[in-house]
Amino acid sequence: MNTMTINGRLATLPDDPDALLVDVIRDDLDLTGTKLVCGAGVCGACTVLVDGAPVVSCLMPARAAANTAVTTVEGIGATDLHAVQKAFMAHDALQCGFCTPGFVVEAAAFCDSWRKDKGTAIPSREEIGAALSGHLCRCGAYEGIFNAVAAACAGQFDGLEFSPPRVEARAKVTGSAKYTVDIRHDGQQEGVILRSQLAHARITDLDLAPARAMPGVSAAVSLLGDDGIVRFVGDPIAAVAAKDRKTAEAAIAAIRMTSERLPSVIGLDAARKPGSPVVFEKSSRKKAGNVSEGTPAPAAWNGNVRGPSAAFSQKARKARNWVAAAREQQNPWLVEGTFRTGTQSHTSLEPHATVARFDGDRLTVHASTQSVFHVMELIAKRYKLGHDKVRVIADHIGGGFGSKGTLGMETTAAIDLAREAEAPVRIAYDRHEELSVTGYRPATELKIALLPSEQGDLKALSLTAYADTGAATNSTLAALARLIYPAEAKELADYDVISNLPPGAPFRGPGGPPMAFALEQAIDEAALRMKVDPIALRKRWDPNPNRQRLYDWAAGLDVWRNRKTPAEQTGRYRRGVGVATGYWLYLWQPGVKIELKVEGGRLVASTATQDIGQGSRTVIANTVAQEFGLEPHDVEVRIGDSNLPEGPGAGGSRSTASVIPPTLLAVQKLKDAIEQNAKRKPLPGSNAPWRELIAASPDLGVASVRPEDSKPTAPGIRSPMKEAGIMGMIFGWMLRRFSNLAVGAGVPSSVQVIEVEVDTWLGHVRVLNVHTGIAVGKIAAPALARSQATGSVIQGLGYALYEARETDPRSGDVLSAGMEDYRIPGIADTPAISVHFDEAGFDHVLGGSVGIGEVATVPTSPALANAIRNATGIRLTEIPIRPDRLISALKGRTAA
Amino acid sequence: MTSASMTASAEFRAAGTDLSERRRSGVSRGPLIDLAAAPDTIGVTWGADGAATIGALTSIAAIAADPRIAAAYPGIAASASGLATPQVRHLATLGGNLAQRSRCWYFRDPHIACLKKGGSECPARTGNHLYSVAFDLGPCVAPHPSTMAAALLAHDARIVTSQRPGISIGELLGDGSNGTSDHALAADEMIRSVELSAPLPGERALYKRAISRSHAEWPLAEVCARAVVTSGTFQFIRLTAGGIAPVPLRLAACEAGLQGKPAGAAVIAEAARLARSGASPLPMTGYKLDLLEGVVHDLLERLATP
Repeated sequence: MNTMTINGRLATLPDDPDALLVDVIRDDLDLTGTKLVCGAGVCGACTVLVDGAPVVSCLMPARAAANTAVTTVEGIGATDLHAVQKAFMAHDALQCGFCTPGFVVEAAAFCDSWRKDKGTAIPSREEIGAALSGHLCRCGAYEGIFNAVAAACAGQFDGLEFSPPRVEARAKVTGSAKYTVDIRHDGQQEGVILRSQLAHARITDLDLAPARAMPGVSAAVSLLGDDGIVRFVGDPIAAVAAKDRKTAEAAIAAIRMTSERLPSVIGLDAARKPGSPVVFEKSSRKKAGNVSEGTPAPAAWNGNVRGPSAAFSQKARKARNWVAAAREQQNPWLVEGTFRTGTQSHTSLEPHATVARFDGDRLTVHASTQSVFHVMELIAKRYKLGHDKVRVIADHIGGGFGSKGTLGMETTAAIDLAREAEAPVRIAYDRHEELSVTGYRPATELKIALLPSEQGDLKALSLTAYADTGAATNSTLAALARLIYPAEAKELADYDVISNLPPGAPFRGPGGPPMAFALEQAIDEAALRMKVDPIALRKRWDPNPNRQRLYDWAAGLDVWRNRKTPAEQTGRYRRGVGVATGYWLYLWQPGVKIELKVEGGRLVASTATQDIGQGSRTVIANTVAQEFGLEPHDVEVRIGDSNLPEGPGAGGSRSTASVIPPTLLAVQKLKDAIEQNAKRKPLPGSNAPWRELIAASPDLGVASVRPEDSKPTAPGIRSPMKEAGIMGMIFGWMLRRFSNLAVGAGVPSSVQVIEVEVDTWLGHVRVLNVHTGIAVGKIAAPALARSQATGSVIQGLGYALYEARETDPRSGDVLSAGMEDYRIPGIADTPAISVHFDEAGFDHVLGGSVGIGEVATVPTSPALANAIRNATGIRLTEIPIRPDRLISALKGRTAA
Repeated sequence: MTSASMTASAEFRAAGTDLSERRRSGVSRGPLIDLAAAPDTIGVTWGADGAATIGALTSIAAIAADPRIAAAYPGIAASASGLATPQVRHLATLGGNLAQRSRCWYFRDPHIACLKKGGSECPARTGNHLYSVAFDLGPCVAPHPSTMAAALLAHDARIVTSQRPGISIGELLGDGSNGTSDHALAADEMIRSVELSAPLPGERALYKRAISRSHAEWPLAEVCARAVVTSGTFQFIRLTAGGIAPVPLRLAACEAGLQGKPAGAAVIAEAARLARSGASPLPMTGYKLDLLEGVVHDLLERLATP
């Protein structure tokens, strides 16, 4: 029998030639710090040291590890933390933390070897980028990782102990943080889903008996809807639970059924053609998914086209007529164009995963979810259980970005299987599932017309958006153009184009980035034609006070003032600078409750929210600590458990604005309670009076609910919904009534200035630097806010340059279902990013803070396209701006 | 499952960096034979004439890090350090790199039939072939994935197998007309080592790939270039390209446009344009020819600069 030494201990290796090292480490040895993500050697999350060299354990046969010494993340800082781990904590080089163990293992090996050769010299960005090029971080924590690795190599973290800015950072850099995929109950079964291989079919005679009869299989359930129709490749048909994945896979292959192939249609262009096969007949339209966070408003259906949704138009007919007249008169200021955006996959590194367990009539669900409380409510409703019988737990979540906001198939299937199996069941999607059926930001086609008046004001805007929503509806893009750049008239129409592709889902600022890609390039083009500075034109056309301050900041940047014109450049490499604006709604969740207690002389804050990397644990800890004059680590924060008081979902940038106000109210209540119960007052002149009082206090508890905001008094700060007239008010009311989301006053805003270098020979864009100005009120956790701001830019750069789900145009198979074909940004693609926080504008919110996550990614793609226009004189109308598209545009051809 | 070839005869496994993923997904099944390192299959040996022989189980990282390889064969060293990721390069072997299977997304999907899995047609040809060939040499349109093969082609390397004493890259991989396989080895034939000729006096060599990001991406087009430039003239030039055809290609027209010519801007630009000679791009792959020309242009400019 073969053995290896792992973290200093001897371990036996299985004889199975197909056993991979990662599976032995995670499943046999329960060293779950090592993560399995891509399974293809691309992302590096599974990196371990084999005889000191970092290798991908997801591809290394276990038997190849015989007689080697293997070190996992658990062995890196086993006695004392490695300098790299401390540096990662100090520089907040992580968000969700799922990629962190892999990065830590590689960076520790790099740092050790660097210091052996080069002492405390500091490696360059290029050297760090090349060394870590086998790792991917979807949150985009690269800025912190650069800084952390450089600092650790420089010897800045030798021996140093400190409290990190992110309260759970230690668990994440040591690999001890448990995610849903790491949960293992006794007797736990593995669930696997049988999925349709046809884009459109009617399934009959589904026979699960052959699967159930197989040894090791504990349950098999149908997942078909009542009509028995599957509408995309990957649509679930059935699920099986078995003692291990291999057995479950064999069992789903044994399931028998009859599939009647139905006519199918794939993608935006085909599905719009008259007479194309219809995906949802009238009776089945409710089965369509939802790509937005709000409930769909009624809209007309015409075949596979749903729309127009045009309620946010304003004098639409006038806008149309003015644009038509300007076109006829060949008005040189009329900007018209068609823009296209690609399909962006969330690519959470932790897949959608659930572990369901029944204990009698009580159901415990570990889920990789953005909303433990809401998912608990949905489970209780679906299974007709009391809220007290269902508990949803998510201690740590490896990314979500909008795709994990609601009750998913991975959860209902796991529950169904656990009930039949009478055993705990885990379902964890593989990478192919994660990149094909868990949702995406729909591709779009946007037709825009923008007409300035003779006086140089904005007269009319027309925007028609077609979204490639797959088996889903409710895209909202054009409507978002109502809430920025007021005009005399706007014609705004949204269409969903439904086809036999997996359903889209909300994704970080749903609708915002594609809308901005068209609108902000049209504004840029108008500025060029009007011979006005693009920032000055935005300042003229966009009266929002938060953005007015950001425009002043941006106009003062050296990189902006020193930009060149395309005519000044002729060589192979050309540099350009672009600007763009973004906004998002300020949303908060009514009913959120924070419980604050003194427990055994320590402060404990609790709410049923969860931290997908945005930093809510830290925001709560910082807020409480600051009010009591304590350090954040003095406060224990309990989240990630639906048994706690109702907390917000981590979506719609709502977390910070939902938790800080009730926390501040609870602090005041608890202070009063502590003082009333104090047996003696702190000594006069004590510099930590609350520390003494809390330590001496009996156990006490208070709770506060998120209050309504006060009336804004600052000029120009209004509810954007009220600005949008009666339809806006109705939309706001619906969002609160049906989605439990309140639209607050004031508009979170961002302005980005991006400098690029274009290689005109290889169609390659190198982003040199990004300046992101963000107005989201007071910053509650500065290091983490910075991480979110830079991560949003990096995700935006991926959207602009690399990311596109690719499908087969006939079969509807998702082809880019692995991480080598779905390309997210790596560390070496990350430019220097400077973050400017403008902290005014939200004084009417208790605490003054609103969320960052969405607004900070909206303007990136148009800012980048505007920079390419400035560098080359060519406007790129389709993202991602891959080499194939850029080289074709530079050569004056149409890309395929 | 769609194909008969999935139950084909035993497959050799070196480090498994390609095979493990195929077996996990179900694209490849059947018995495995793990290759054990022997003295002639691992490490680099040097002849008296300064020629290297590299064992087939030598890791890509070892080749990239070998200072003697870097000095004698900089194009091979640069190719080795330019492929995959550091953690893959530590495991992956030279022989495995040459004998790896296609990265085509249709081939890698176990639910889609294709020529390489016993199917009757190439679904990429009429489907989404964004990353496919621009030189259409056979029924399958997937580009050959081996970066090392293109580099070795530029060096006229001889491949020693368990059955043959020394074959060319052309003999190893075929001419691209057989769409069912990625190499022309017999079922029980394994690569043992790679023999290189001694570098030419004064030779310089470079490697570059065009990709969308900075690192860790399969090449859209890649080129290995060797040159001897004396008195401002291309005395010797060798250009091979990968990522554009079912097998690595020598860019013979380019070479002819440079051989014996002055290493000046006009000659170089004209020769770079010849990189696309004989190309037959698919509807979605015309861009690869622009990139190929750009990479050749880039390398020639650098080789011409003393």
